Amino acid sequence: MSTLLDQANEAAKLAQSLGADEARVGVSRSRGVEVEWRDGRLERVQERTRRGLSVELFVDGRYAAMSTNDLRPEAVRGFLTEAVAMTRLLEPDPHRCLPDPAMYAGRAEVDLDLSDPTQASVTSESRRAAAEQLETLLRAGAGDLPIVSVTSSVDDDSGESARVHTNGFEGVRTGTHFSRSVQVTVLDKDGRRPMGWAYTVRRHQAELQVLETIAREAREMALRQLGSGKLATGKYTLVVDRQSVPRLLGAFLGPLSGSALQQKRSLWDGKLGEQIASDKLTIVDDPFRVRGLGSALWDGDGFATKKRPIIERGVLCTYLIDDYYARKMGVAPTGGSTHNFDWVLGEKDAAGLVADVGEGVYIDRFLGGNSNGTTGEISLGCAGRVIRGGVLCEPVAEINLAGNFGEIWRALVGVGNDPDSNSSAGCPTCVFEGIQLSGT
Amino acid sequence: MDMTAEGLAYFGRFGVDEALLRAALAQALSRGGDFAELYFEHRVAHEVGLEDGAVNRAFLHVSLGVGVRVVQGDQTGYAYTEELTRERVCEAAGTAAIVASGAPLPGPRAFEVRGRPDRYPVAVDFESVGIERKMPILSEINHLAFAQDASVCKVTVGYADSDGAMFLVDSDGRTAFDRQPMARLSVGCVAERNGRRESNHHNLAGREGFEFFTPERIHKVTHEAVARTIFCFDAGPAPAGEMPVVLAAGSAGILLHEAIGHGMEADFNRKGVSVYSDKLGKRIAGDEITIVDDGTQPHARGAINVDDEGVEGQRTVLVQSGILETYMHDRISAKHYGVAPTGNGRRQSFRDPPLPRMRSTYMMPGSVPPEDIVKSVKHGVYAETFTNGQVMIGAGDFTFYIKTGYLIEDGKLTRPIKDTNIIGNGPQCLERTDLVGNDFKLDEGGWTCGKDGQSVPVSIGMPTVRVSAITVGGVNS
Repeated sequence: MSTLLDQANEAAKLAQSLGADEARVGVSRSRGVEVEWRDGRLERVQERTRRGLSVELFVDGRYAAMSTNDLRPEAVRGFLTEAVAMTRLLEPDPHRCLPDPAMYAGRAEVDLDLSDPTQASVTSESRRAAAEQLETLLRAGAGDLPIVSVTSSVDDDSGESARVHTNGFEGVRTGTHFSRSVQVTVLDKDGRRPMGWAYTVRRHQAELQVLETIAREAREMALRQLGSGKLATGKYTLVVDRQSVPRLLGAFLGPLSGSALQQKRSLWDGKLGEQIASDKLTIVDDPFRVRGLGSALWDGDGFATKKRPIIERGVLCTYLIDDYYARKMGVAPTGGSTHNFDWVLGEKDAAGLVADVGEGVYIDRFLGGNSNGTTGEISLGCAGRVIRGGVLCEPVAEINLAGNFGEIWRALVGVGNDPDSNSSAGCPTCVFEGIQLSGT
Repeated sequence: MDMTAEGLAYFGRFGVDEALLRAALAQALSRGGDFAELYFEHRVAHEVGLEDGAVNRAFLHVSLGVGVRVVQGDQTGYAYTEELTRERVCEAAGTAAIVASGAPLPGPRAFEVRGRPDRYPVAVDFESVGIERKMPILSEINHLAFAQDASVCKVTVGYADSDGAMFLVDSDGRTAFDRQPMARLSVGCVAERNGRRESNHHNLAGREGFEFFTPERIHKVTHEAVARTIFCFDAGPAPAGEMPVVLAAGSAGILLHEAIGHGMEADFNRKGVSVYSDKLGKRIAGDEITIVDDGTQPHARGAINVDDEGVEGQRTVLVQSGILETYMHDRISAKHYGVAPTGNGRRQSFRDPPLPRMRSTYMMPGSVPPEDIVKSVKHGVYAETFTNGQVMIGAGDFTFYIKTGYLIEDGKLTRPIKDTNIIGNGPQCLERTDLVGNDFKLDEGGWTCGKDGQSVPVSIGMPTVRVSAITVGGVNS
């Protein structure tokens, strides 16, 4: 059986023989299994075995792409023939071409260790046992928590992909993921059924958080929603849970992309080198974190990745401009991908920050909402607990945060010492001052 | 023509024949179970894009595979393969069978002969239309958008068509075959005035062939995208706090979808985790409120001839005059509750097991003229266009995002507003829906619903309504 790299090279040659001047090819395959357990019984076992071929075609200064999982040789030839013919009919795009091969050079020689060989020997029985144990642990510590239902899930996968550009790029990568999650629904006095949940995800099985931690976090999240009330509309100091911070960060970083800038949909246009957030915010993108969830030696264009600051003491250090939009904008590409974030952390954990804040609201989940990258407007549903006297008090729900995400990040006054290890964004608990919340 | 013959005729080109079906079903039933099913799918999708004035990108996606499901009680075993050889399909069937624990069962004696409704006949097959006929649509939209307003500075246009074929056979001998077309047109717009930029977008979608792309739709989608962008220059944030909200007819159906639709999907109720778990047969809304989930509307994005378990798509009244009549069922939940499935078993693709999902969810019109509803509000918000929503099934808290609307002052629409989320509690919001308009609009937007990591196309519709008090997530000056 040929390797994925061989298959990618063959598809690239085939594309060229059918009329493409250049091509960019990706071939991938993966296998994963999920076991879901609910209320003392197996609920679902699901196996996923995927494969795929994607080809980007550069024909006579024109561009198109195709993807398929029907890999029968005669079918692939047929799709590529159709795609090449389709490409010739498009209008030309002078900015579409393969990247300068110089950008491929300098690939770091780091063993990222993204694949755990033990994944191959995980059995359905062990997945089922872990899922069952997760429920047992959750219920064992529940005391008189009025539980309606507990669902736990154990999931792992392994994948391999190869990528070839006809002007000299080749890359192969493999990776595994393991995750454990649990959700618990409880019955509130008024008939509402709030849910608490928690999860852990890692590249290597041995690094997963212990099941006791997951079970406890989910239970506590459910417990603290019982008896939720409403909050008076006003401006508050917010302590935002580390798992919820990515919602605010994603809105803030989205408009840094080349497509947003070139398409005039970015409030950060013209802000390079300026202070766009509080000096408490420093984020460095680290593609080389060993066993990191977002680690990679090359990015979406095949560029060798580099460790680099995105925001340093609130100052915007770089845009995220990929090769295509860099050509359109007439600037040097800066790389369109981000990987793992290293933050400059504070001294305290969430409880310490809550104590310092004294009076405010602790936000532990966002619900829906949206933001506008052209203007910075943001409006998100949320829930959490009131902070009074430096401790978490009564739960509040059905509230909404609103403002401008630029202003919100300029109002960042505190950062925790507790980065979330279950996310490549690695967000710590964050404290923001004077944020508009709507309630009653 | 019966669906078994159609399915075998279509998937025969991939090597699927009756012997393969029988072998795979036998393997799926090798450990018993209530039923087993094979779901074959083949989908070909095209996209064409315009940016900066040129139609200069196109995408072709092909997807092929079969999912095998074995069900025992509430338990599901699921596996799929993307290679339709007998060996691979039987292997997947063996994996799915792991969930069962009994003696082998025989497969079906015969496959049934059954026709299906035809709710989205196609006049012009996408397969017969070359890209050269699609490109002028995008160029025309670009031209129209720039001509509509001098402040327009960027326009993007997306054309998408998709032709999916599904073929289902199960261990009871039930079969279903359907071709499910989808056409979609989306326009993004950015405008600039005195150094200030605003952006917005609009899209239309439906289950039709190439005939979907009429001059009327091309003009409508462009006009809306530009007008909604220009609107934003005069709009500001909504106020913050609890107040009456009037929802305009049409895409406000997102409120129903989030506030109560998901909570009425029977899997959540079977597990006891929905806020509606103990509300069947009870009053949950005022007399004037009737809510329907419907798979039968011709060419609607959420229409289905048959669902992804082979049950005929149908019109299901969820709430009749304020009383919760039924949940939306798939086969598992229908068996659990001892009722007939409602044709709501849907899945994103052959890679996913079906779940109870909405189709086209809407409220029936009431008796109040819409202008009287606006007049009834002293201080509140009129919400006109929407982008997205979300719900916590158990707690009932839900949100939906208002892209554009107006302030209502003394019964009149006054200051334009934009980009404001609304958060409420589903059952409470339904109780507070106290005026229902005598107008009605089924929205033609490309709405997509997400659940358990699976996306399916849906439709939404609504008359004008008033919610007497709900939290508006604006900003107070």
